[in-house]
Amino acid sequence: MSGLATAQAKAASVSPLGLYVHVPFCASTCDFCAFYQTQPTADGVHRFLAGIADEAALVPWTQPVSTVFWGGGTPGLLSPGDLEKLAAIVRARCGSAPEEWTVELAPASVTEARLAALKAAGVTRVSLGVQSFQPALLDALGRAHSLAQIHRAYDRIRAVGFASVNLDLMFALPGQTETEWAEDIRTAVALAPDHLSTYCLTFEEDTKLWVKLSQGRVKLDPEHEARLYESTWALLEAAGYAQYEVSNFARPGHACRHNLNTWRMHEWIGLGPSAASQQAGLRGANISDLDRWLDHIACGERVTEDRVTLTPALLAEDALIFGLRVNGGVDLAPWRGRAPEAPWPQIEDTLSTLAAGELLVRTGDVVRLSNRGRLIADTIGTEIMAAFEPITETA
Amino acid sequence: MSSRYTRNFCIIAHVDHGKTTLSDRLLEYTNQVSQRVLTEQHLDSMDLEKERGITIKSHPVTMNYPAKDGHIYKLNLMDTPGHVDFSYEVSRSLAACEGAVLLIDAAQGVEAQTVANAHLAFGQKLKVIPVINKIDLPSANLDLCLKQLEDILTISAEEAILASGKSGIGIVDILEAVVTRVPPPRWTDYPQTRALVFDSLYDSYRGVISYVRVFSGAVKAGEYMLLMSNNAKSEIKEVGVFMPKMEKRASLGAGDVGYVVSNIKDPSEIKIGDTLTLSARPAAEMLPGYKEVRPMVFCGLYPVDTGDYEKLKAALGRLRLNDAAFVYSSESSVALGFGFRCGFLGLLHMEIIQERIRREHDVDIISTYPSVVYHVIKHGDVMLEVDNPVNLPDPGEIVEIREPTIKAAIHIPNDSMGDILALVMEKRGTVDHTDTLDATRVMLTCVLPLNEILVDFNDRLKSITHGYGSMDYELGEYRAADLVKMEILVNADPVDAFASIVHRDKAEGKGRELCEKLADIIPPQMFKVAIQAAIGGKIIARDNVKEMRKDVTAKCYGGDISRKRKLLDKQKEGKKKMKQFGRVSIPSDAFIKVLKTN
Repeated sequence: MSGLATAQAKAASVSPLGLYVHVPFCASTCDFCAFYQTQPTADGVHRFLAGIADEAALVPWTQPVSTVFWGGGTPGLLSPGDLEKLAAIVRARCGSAPEEWTVELAPASVTEARLAALKAAGVTRVSLGVQSFQPALLDALGRAHSLAQIHRAYDRIRAVGFASVNLDLMFALPGQTETEWAEDIRTAVALAPDHLSTYCLTFEEDTKLWVKLSQGRVKLDPEHEARLYESTWALLEAAGYAQYEVSNFARPGHACRHNLNTWRMHEWIGLGPSAASQQAGLRGANISDLDRWLDHIACGERVTEDRVTLTPALLAEDALIFGLRVNGGVDLAPWRGRAPEAPWPQIEDTLSTLAAGELLVRTGDVVRLSNRGRLIADTIGTEIMAAFEPITETA
Repeated sequence: MSSRYTRNFCIIAHVDHGKTTLSDRLLEYTNQVSQRVLTEQHLDSMDLEKERGITIKSHPVTMNYPAKDGHIYKLNLMDTPGHVDFSYEVSRSLAACEGAVLLIDAAQGVEAQTVANAHLAFGQKLKVIPVINKIDLPSANLDLCLKQLEDILTISAEEAILASGKSGIGIVDILEAVVTRVPPPRWTDYPQTRALVFDSLYDSYRGVISYVRVFSGAVKAGEYMLLMSNNAKSEIKEVGVFMPKMEKRASLGAGDVGYVVSNIKDPSEIKIGDTLTLSARPAAEMLPGYKEVRPMVFCGLYPVDTGDYEKLKAALGRLRLNDAAFVYSSESSVALGFGFRCGFLGLLHMEIIQERIRREHDVDIISTYPSVVYHVIKHGDVMLEVDNPVNLPDPGEIVEIREPTIKAAIHIPNDSMGDILALVMEKRGTVDHTDTLDATRVMLTCVLPLNEILVDFNDRLKSITHGYGSMDYELGEYRAADLVKMEILVNADPVDAFASIVHRDKAEGKGRELCEKLADIIPPQMFKVAIQAAIGGKIIARDNVKEMRKDVTAKCYGGDISRKRKLLDKQKEGKKKMKQFGRVSIPSDAFIKVLKTN
């Protein structure tokens, strides 16, 4: 047995561990984006890389990392050399080659040199932020790429040969018709990616779209959004992409393991400004500001924001709330064993009510949502929270 | 003490015809109060009384008037409640007088309440002095008023005094008329002491203070009084008169109006209209006209915020201290939680109490549909009084349901006759006769079921007549009607707060309207929820609450989990404020909205 195989076997026998790196640089801000990002400068990038190395040194690395995910911001804005530096820091902490390593890229930043650097570093999965194939809508979203750039980027990624390629798309964009969206899906499917993420446009506070919404220039239409969700599911299913989460679809074997592990309430370490972590009984995030994050790291502090002490019951609750968004659902058996103090009779009541209303399907100990249930997963989440109430409130 | 130079009178009028202003002028003229005290004290009544132009509590006052005949007269002015809901109280105040000044607004002419009050005064055999008020208004129509006086009230126009409370015209004429036309106190030679209790006031230090008009004998501190309706005995602690502030006196004699402080602490023991006599030498007969006052209209009152229950309970208790006609008992509702079943003399009484709870006691409340008191005849000739639809027996046990009716006098402009007749028909009423008031106005005398006028009758009357219509009514007899209990089911569970007793012919329409409204107001639900209206298990109308279509966050990754939890937590807190109906959560303000829009 090779060293790698041993490490992987060991990793599989314990819970998986994810590593998320937030690269906070963007050339411009998209109208819908609420993620923390800042303009890239040579000095900023340099300090960021040094900060990541310092933060990594603060983390107790108790087990090998199973999956890596670089998000942003736009990780692709880093130069090939900087990408290599970041990869080196990450690799040094992984223990062995991770089973999945995703990097988010914006079409405009996809160059052969960058792709080569990522491939060489061990990246296995590329997620391309297409958002739309309609030039007018791209423009409306404030995206800085053209249709030609999308196709060129996709071809380059395929040419380098990553194990899995995802395209990010958005729907329910202001002014977008059902036909236009179906056309986008067809165009995406024609490119034959391994994975598709389709996001219903969300109005996040502190975005330009939110401002437009609050000024009444854009209107919400839940019925229209529901129809787009349903047509998306039907079209992608027919094209061979199985839905495995509210917004995620994959060909067999291509579901994103990093995200699945998150939804199953496994542990992950987040590095970089605004990155969230869930490890060693603590959930929280780094501060959303490059300079202040660097200050914290210099003081030996990380995960300074929104800190929550995790109890087995809270993890069981979140495993249900977030696991029910996954099509495969949640196996209750292990959680019952891990959190016997949770109010299970009450939880069972809620699950039965949801099942009676055909929002949830139960097979033995595995519960999952029906299509109608998945469309109102947030409301169902509040039902789950209410069912867990006595325990989480006293915890 | 001789009562030869005593006159007891009241002022009666339609709302806004200037009663308060005129009383103030009379007080001013008799130097009873200076201008300053006038605004501070005499008018120191409830905001609501001022706003609505009605008197709820009595404000009697004694004035000394040097008349032109050279004698100084003691004039007791009784203030009377000015609304049909309080017609019994009005009749008791009138019973304490020998004369009444009937005010008619020169610009408005005779209106519904003018007629009703005049008839009450005639009924008490009072000498009525007609006064045309506000004669200095540019829009005054003196000829019309005088003609109406003769045609409608059968009072000779020659008797009318022309006045203006505002500019003080006719004040002396009125005072002189009271002295010369109103007879001196009656029944003074009855062998024992008799005094009429016409109001009472609760004082937290002195207990219940009775307002009395002494007819014969004398009342003084130290003696034991006897209330003849319930044989309650109590030592008299103090007596006095209203100047208008209470002023202590050694005794009250025949013809006097004043107050009596005793040991009685429970307001329900002092009944309006009761006869107070002396325990040592009790009268053989009560003064005529005593009636046990019974609430006619009931509704449930609930705090909007369930945490306000105790506050509401305290408010009701305090209101009851000064309003024996208002009754309440605790009840609970599935939809609205814990609250109270409350009984009122009528609609206005109900509105006033609700308004006072909100304003003076700062409790936000929601009221269920008002209900009248039904007489339910069961097999074996058993009669049951039902004021809450929830208590209606099974249809199988019922032989007949009888509902209270009213006899209404509706004054309207000629041109709205058609629409008003249609309204009366719609409300299951009949028009007994039509009288012409003048060239432009008619009076309809109608019989209507009381429950049909509970909700929107007056509003619609006002809207059809552009504000010119007015109505007054007296309670009529109970009549059998085809009444049924209509229930509203949410997800097949009856919601008690929406149950109502309605006429069978109206059930479907009302049921449909309620279902639609509820389906519209209840926010989209996770599950299919039917709203149904049913009579005895038979569904007569239905609607569906909208199903929730989409409530899901698109992006939910590691960094989003804390944020998502916070959002869900907020949603969950919102849900806690909802009422659960099986698996349906309905915000309690949905019920409130439906009840309010009706």
